[in-house]
Amino acid sequence: MTFLEKQTDPTSPMHWRGNMQADYLYLSGVAGDKFFKHLMKNDTFLATKCPECNKVFFPPRLYCEDCFCEIPEEKWFEVPSKGSIKLFTIATIDSYGKKLKEPKVIGLINIDQTDGSLLGVIKTDKPDEELQGVHVEAVLKPKDKREGTLKDILYFKKK
Amino acid sequence: MRKVAVIGAGMTLFRRILQETGKELSFLATKMAMEDAGIEKKDLDMVIMGSAPDAFDGIHLKGENLLDGAAAANKPYVRVFNGGGTGVFAPIAGWWHVASGVADVALVVCEEKMGSCFPHPQTAFRHIWDPFLDRPLNTNLVWLFAMEMNRYMTVHNIKKEDIARVAVKNKRNAVGHPCAQLPDENITIDDVLNSEVVAWPVQRLDISPPSDGASALILCSEEKAKKYVEDPITIAGVGWNIDSTMWTNRDLYFPRYVANAAKMAYKMAGIDNPRKEIDFAEPYDPFDYKELQHMEGLLLCDKGEAPILTREGVTQRDGNLPICPSGGLLGVGNPIAATMGQKVCELYWQLAGKAGKRQIPTDPQIGVGQAWGDIMQMGTVIVMKR
Amino acid sequence: MMSMKKEGYPKYAPGTHVSRKDIRNKNKTYTWWEPEVQYSWAMGPAISRFLQELKNGKIIARCCNKCDRVIVPPRMFCEYCYKPTDKWLYIKDTGTVETFSIAYLDGDARRIKDPILIGVISIDGASPQHGFMHYFGEMKPEELHIGMKVKAVWKPEKERTGAITDIKYFKPLKGGGK
Ligand SMILES: [Zn+2]
Ligand SMILES: [Zn+2]
Repeated sequence: MTFLEKQTDPTSPMHWRGNMQADYLYLSGVAGDKFFKHLMKNDTFLATKCPECNKVFFPPRLYCEDCFCEIPEEKWFEVPSKGSIKLFTIATIDSYGKKLKEPKVIGLINIDQTDGSLLGVIKTDKPDEELQGVHVEAVLKPKDKREGTLKDILYFKKK
Repeated sequence: MRKVAVIGAGMTLFRRILQETGKELSFLATKMAMEDAGIEKKDLDMVIMGSAPDAFDGIHLKGENLLDGAAAANKPYVRVFNGGGTGVFAPIAGWWHVASGVADVALVVCEEKMGSCFPHPQTAFRHIWDPFLDRPLNTNLVWLFAMEMNRYMTVHNIKKEDIARVAVKNKRNAVGHPCAQLPDENITIDDVLNSEVVAWPVQRLDISPPSDGASALILCSEEKAKKYVEDPITIAGVGWNIDSTMWTNRDLYFPRYVANAAKMAYKMAGIDNPRKEIDFAEPYDPFDYKELQHMEGLLLCDKGEAPILTREGVTQRDGNLPICPSGGLLGVGNPIAATMGQKVCELYWQLAGKAGKRQIPTDPQIGVGQAWGDIMQMGTVIVMKR
Repeated sequence: MMSMKKEGYPKYAPGTHVSRKDIRNKNKTYTWWEPEVQYSWAMGPAISRFLQELKNGKIIARCCNKCDRVIVPPRMFCEYCYKPTDKWLYIKDTGTVETFSIAYLDGDARRIKDPILIGVISIDGASPQHGFMHYFGEMKPEELHIGMKVKAVWKPEKERTGAITDIKYFKPLKGGGK
């Protein structure tokens, strides 16, 4: 597995070291800004519904990628911050490949009343239990601590 | 090869920072082009995305990130890029999709979000250099263009004011463009010459601004185009060419790669005498001197002659050879790949007589658009005909 | 059917302008991201040797026997003849200014007060217009000109690391040039 192999000797004179010296500020976009601003003040989510095919987008979008039409203001609506686990994995390493102190359950959660889903951490006492289809709800930061990013959702837990 | 027509175009506002995500910008430009052509997503056979270095958006797999906003979900899709050359190279890729017969209708979308990169979009350019020779000197891209401009000015003994005229013309031309970022009706040569020196000989008003924006173009086989348009505007020739990456081993005063690309496009278009046969041009103008160098590269005049034509007013919108009637990058803005809006969409609008306030009064029949990219080495050229 | 309308295209300009003030005041939500990726780039034999020789205070080139070029920066192949280059050759540490800029802008586009003098120097002993980019020093900005003869100023031997910056800058070559 070449992908998992580590560089053997990066200090040899045949190599030159460097990094990516740039930082990024990603605006949430027009739909994203509306979604996050709502989440800063409420414990519910927002979704949008395509006026042509009735598909419900979560996270909400400005347009339907299939019908290629704009989604009007009146097709925005509130949904509960709950859903059921569609897929999950039990992670033992972090994104740098370092071992986690405790295994972490990561799940893709189908948000109720929508055709969309969200990736999130799932807090559970028994990480090895069968979680497929289990209903969970979002645990959010206290309202005064929310910043309008995905980190405002701390984790999902079983109801 | 089949003949390829342009049946619709769209572009967003160009600004230093736009709130829309790249996908949302792609959607807005595409939607406008679809409305213009009178087609829907189901009518598209293929989609081509043009977007320059990933380091601007800070999203790798940028093509994949943008595709749902570009009407490409569940379609044959490809992203192409060659730095600043992308704005003309993406429609060239669209052209070969249709000319070869694999697509009847192809959508070309170009997007750039330079506003995401901090502390400045220039920082992203660090990642395009050679890591051993260029990066350790903390190079800024403007330094390179300043060196190229200096070489061009010295070889031909060109005065700065003759270069500043280009910035004045283009920022004034941009006044009629609804998307323009830096239009200026009252700008003078003195304003340019008195602006801050950023890297001599480059001054602040010699440079186009970094921008967010998107543009879109719909290409169609000529045969099928008659279903949508009475007299379709067609792509008569395309060309592209690249020089050695070792830029410190080349004389920077003349872009020979642009000349090579132009010759390829002119041959395809059956143009023997570009100076006589071409009615107007949209050469790439991220800096004012680049318009002049590119006019020479496009063989529209002799080497060193472009500043003289500019001084004589030949390149004004009502002159003999209008150059950058859109307002160019200097006036409309420079969201790298999305400058397809000025370099190719504008050819279509001018040839179709749809440019409104920007319309060239002399009823142009043939126009050439060109872009320039990578490390001062890539030339991309498109010729369009009424 | 599309007709030749006199009204201007594009007909409208969609998009929402955001000012830096909007961002500072957090009027718009955003996510901040700092990439933490590190690279170790293989230099290959040509640049590896070139930088090692800089550490020794020497500039080395590669020669192509077919087009007779003495190539610097060196490479193991000639991109024009498209064949391997043939031998190493030490060249001088003097050269000619091909072009230059007086930069009031650093690598991150920050304004600086004391300008950086930067340019391309073709190196004596290499083919015409074969050289690399570097800084200039020990001269006033107004003295710098295309065609000027210059000489490398090296870092003290102990401080050299095998990098292009082992040359501090190029200074005017006394008695040379116009
Ligand atoms: Zn739909
Ligand atoms: Zn050779």
